Amino acid sequence: MTRWGMAIDVRRCVGCQTCTIACKQEHGLPPDTAWRFVADCEVGEYPDVRRVFLPMQCMHCAEPPCVPVCPTGASRQRDDGIVWVEYDACVGCGYCAMACPYQARHLVHEANGYFEIPTPSEAAQARPERHGVMTKCTFCKERVDDGLGRGLQPGVDADATPMCALACIAGAIVFGDLDDATSRVSRLAADPRAQVLMPECGTEPRVYYLAD
Amino acid sequence: MATAMTAQRMEMLPAQRQVLWGWPAVINFALGGLGAGWYVIAVLAAGFERSPAVTAASWAAPVLVLAGFAAVAAEAGRPLRGPRVLMRLRTSWMSRELLLGIAFVLLVAADLAFPLRLHRAQAIVAAVLLALAQGFIVRRARGVTAWDVPLMPLLFLLSALVSGAGAYLLVEVGAGRPPLPALAGAVLALIVVAFIAWARYLVWTSEDSYARAVAPLREGHSALVIDGVGYGLPLLLGLLALAAPAVAGPALALAGALLITGQVYAKARLILAAGQLRPITLAIVPSRRRSS
Repeated sequence: MTRWGMAIDVRRCVGCQTCTIACKQEHGLPPDTAWRFVADCEVGEYPDVRRVFLPMQCMHCAEPPCVPVCPTGASRQRDDGIVWVEYDACVGCGYCAMACPYQARHLVHEANGYFEIPTPSEAAQARPERHGVMTKCTFCKERVDDGLGRGLQPGVDADATPMCALACIAGAIVFGDLDDATSRVSRLAADPRAQVLMPECGTEPRVYYLAD
Repeated sequence: MATAMTAQRMEMLPAQRQVLWGWPAVINFALGGLGAGWYVIAVLAAGFERSPAVTAASWAAPVLVLAGFAAVAAEAGRPLRGPRVLMRLRTSWMSRELLLGIAFVLLVAADLAFPLRLHRAQAIVAAVLLALAQGFIVRRARGVTAWDVPLMPLLFLLSALVSGAGAYLLVEVGAGRPPLPALAGAVLALIVVAFIAWARYLVWTSEDSYARAVAPLREGHSALVIDGVGYGLPLLLGLLALAAPAVAGPALALAGALLITGQVYAKARLILAAGQLRPITLAIVPSRRRSS
């Protein structure tokens, strides 16, 4: 059984936001929406201060609190663990955003671009079905599914790998099958330094962070 | 130079105020609770009989509940898909809230058309469940520190009953039907119980993030309005009404207005000010630097 997941090596991340831009470009996200971003965190107190870059996105939890609260059934979880939104069924109530402990859900309010008139790129990527509904990281499920259909291996073959992992200049983001013991992502997830965000929430995230 | 230390859970991203649920959500929670509570108090006060107070509540309560739904529908991104909200009754309290609200309105309408104690009893059950459902909606919002509290459904039920008692007192005194001392005493007991629950909620855990999240409810203006105007003054006015029957009417009417004010304000602050998304934490080793 396939169980998609991600491992993010915080020690490698340089905070360049290339993954953020790659995601926005891949999915044609409007100006005020980013399904992932890299938080620039200053932790500790002077003089014991440390700067950490923390890539944030949907954790594709095994027990996603956003799915059961959805009143329309638009928030769903696939058998391979990917949590996604059926745009045509979403009423845009925002309940899933309140249920998510990771601030990973975003309401696209209206069709807006960076300028008064849509650029050719924006016009080409217009997604009217996303207006007024909740959106989120999909682990680039279209790329993953398309790649699998062509016999490619997500996380190994570029054409089947989520854009953020593909674009990361430091190789900090690794995607793959957590149920495949030989995959790089499962080896990283088994690293003693691997951890999930806020395990006390009981959501069993499938995005692991390597930090020390 | 840096020295090795053990990992500590550090706050990477601070709590942020949620912005998706605004005044429409507040109106839904406030009017839904007010309508449900008013009907419950009116029917219980009449001993399940048909009375002018029950008739007044029967006309007003469904309007309040439906007005709440209309308000929150306006906040949704795709309000025309509203009927789809009923599709996840098995898991979503938002679906259940809508179903219970519809059931409440239909049962009250049935009682108005064909007066029966059974209709009133069923409508009371629907009203209580509606208030609880609103509490569970907030309770299941796991991303909001101050909402993800087991006490929340009880808090919403008590809030509905308190604000409903306020509407009952206000309308009945206004209509020249001052309530009996026994009923006034019961309302005072309800206020005390609701205040105890509220006070317990404010100190539910000693976690720092929780204390920061509920701080807007505990301090300054909020404490004055919620605790003082919403609980303290009505309690004093109720005691005054019991001690001096000559001023019971005005005192109870004012107490009723203050009860509604306090509960609506508390829900508004709970949603708008205490609606803080959880801070994001990560276990990392803090740096320790020494001067050379």
